[in-house]
Amino acid sequence: MAALQLLVNGLALGAAYALVALGFVLVLNATSAVNFAQGDLVMAGGLLAVALAPLIPLPGIVLLPAVLVLMAGLGLLLALAAYLPLRRRPPVSVFISTIAVGIILQNGAAILFGPEPRAAPPLIVDDTLHVGGLALPVQSLAIIAVAALLIGAQQWVFARTQLGRRLRATAQDPEMARACGVPVTAMILVTFAIAAACAGAAGLLLANRYFVTPTSGGDLILKAYIAVTIGGWGSVPGAVVGALLIALFEVGVSSVLSYPVALGALYLTLLAILVLRPQGLFGEAVRRRG
Amino acid sequence: MRRTLSLLIGLLAATSALASFGAFPGARADDALSFPVLVPLTGFLSLEGTSQRNGAVLALKQTPAGIAIASEVVDTGTSPEAAVTALERAAGSGRVGAVAASMLGTQMLAMLPLAQELKLPLVTVSGTASITEQGNPWVFRFFPGDAVTKSAHARYVVEELGKRQPAVIYQTTAYGQSGKAHLDAAFKALGVTPVFEEGVDPAAKDLLPVLTKALAAKPDVLVLHLHSGPTALLLKQAASSGVTVPIVAGSAMHQPSTAALLEPAELKGVCAETAASPVSGGTPEVEAFTDAYRAAFGKEPDAFALGQYDGMTMVLEAVKAGARSPDAIRKALAAGTFQGLAMTYRSDGKGNMAHSAVIVCYDGTSRVPALVKRYDDPTLAAK
Repeated sequence: MAALQLLVNGLALGAAYALVALGFVLVLNATSAVNFAQGDLVMAGGLLAVALAPLIPLPGIVLLPAVLVLMAGLGLLLALAAYLPLRRRPPVSVFISTIAVGIILQNGAAILFGPEPRAAPPLIVDDTLHVGGLALPVQSLAIIAVAALLIGAQQWVFARTQLGRRLRATAQDPEMARACGVPVTAMILVTFAIAAACAGAAGLLLANRYFVTPTSGGDLILKAYIAVTIGGWGSVPGAVVGALLIALFEVGVSSVLSYPVALGALYLTLLAILVLRPQGLFGEAVRRRG
Repeated sequence: MRRTLSLLIGLLAATSALASFGAFPGARADDALSFPVLVPLTGFLSLEGTSQRNGAVLALKQTPAGIAIASEVVDTGTSPEAAVTALERAAGSGRVGAVAASMLGTQMLAMLPLAQELKLPLVTVSGTASITEQGNPWVFRFFPGDAVTKSAHARYVVEELGKRQPAVIYQTTAYGQSGKAHLDAAFKALGVTPVFEEGVDPAAKDLLPVLTKALAAKPDVLVLHLHSGPTALLLKQAASSGVTVPIVAGSAMHQPSTAALLEPAELKGVCAETAASPVSGGTPEVEAFTDAYRAAFGKEPDAFALGQYDGMTMVLEAVKAGARSPDAIRKALAAGTFQGLAMTYRSDGKGNMAHSAVIVCYDGTSRVPALVKRYDDPTLAAK
């Protein structure tokens, strides 16, 4: 019984992490830039839901479209301010600029909301389902469903639409895509918007059960980075699997061992993957020609 | 690129400056006695640091008659270097009487040698035990250390609740390790051995695993020593899992911002140790402080705010009594006894001024706890 409850919690956490990692890897693929503001965008999404809750006193699921749209706008701003002006500069420039944006977001949130931890409204209801001896939080089940839906929708867009093909072309080879008439700059802007929307959705999903503070994005960017490294640098399915693995360690392994040991085991696993399979679980091996 | 980076750095500086802007504007006069407030307003301790600032600012509004008081608030962030720089800057700007100093232990440890060199009293609510173990006569702590609060915590569990099989869940941070060590010592003094002990990282998002393991050890009480967010998270998960074992939490639980994350029903029967709980009232003076705090900051005060308020009030009492130099203020703090709003303060010779703790409990109908037990010098009785 307890194992099932832990599994549901782990899946919910993993699903939310997957959204964060997905946004991270999309930007990475499209621009080769590491967006270190991704965790702070999650925080921004959570606080946005907190801010919208009094204005629209409805369950979080109703707030979700508004959060997605507003966060997509924030993603566009991030691209315009921190990526596009520096795109022809060394990668470290973008790396630094996204860290700067993250700090601006943190301090902006501290000014607007104060330092107190806050909870976003539940997606549906703040209740627990009792099935047999199981106590399943409705929020956990809703997180799994909503995250799966968003990830599925995103994959459908990428696989089945003209926009998706252009986005993939931009991610694979921007120069070739440009030569073929793809508006690469516009596609990069769309990618940043989608990544920020993913982060915002994750923020809304996480902020009810796990709360949100102006500084809570820091842990999440680290987890996204680890997820992408485990899954394969640039691999979308890899990012999702990596995120689920992190949650498995955090919830599953820590229920058998202790949390610090589980965390140690996660890092040892990461190290082993880096040594034995540097391209990650789903990444493609790249060989240098001597 | 340069222009863009410059713009970003400018924005960064602007937001940091705005985030650290104090509520006390501090128009400094050259002849005024200055009391800088150097506290962490950004970073992981911003919640507690903001309470500390607010308490100091409110106290410094009580200007003694005929004396010009000045102050400025500076955000020390989370780095020791920033705290030292803030102290150096404050010392060089006007006639400083005393400093309301950061509650972050690592910053205090960095500031202490400089305070001794500059001969400036540091008034703080930092809980880090070692800040008063340096042989530095310029530090004054207006918040009970872990030795006091954890003794009260353990004694309430054992003596009042009659529980002898506690499961202890603590944070893996320095704060958590220190509290856990003092809890162990206090339980040992009471002849009790915890049936379960585990540390959790503050970044842990789900506390059901540790809760499940703790309950598997068949405890008769859950003893928590966690930060604000994790405390609320564990209580929420305990409530949704139908846990019936009583829970006695650490001081983070008493903070109104922690209780705000939970429904009153989720708090039913939960108790916590703390230095004070201003929102619980108790005396007309505490209620007046709470009303003034709400009016000034639009928030609920906590024990950190009240502790810093009491500390700065004791400093101002010394000024009223004729102390006009940092050394005269230091002597007054070191030798005096002060009846503050939270408790009676007196130095133990090392700068530890606070020696009392209280236990508060929630009845499930509101987020305001009731004071149920007070311990004065609880460590003496536990030995």
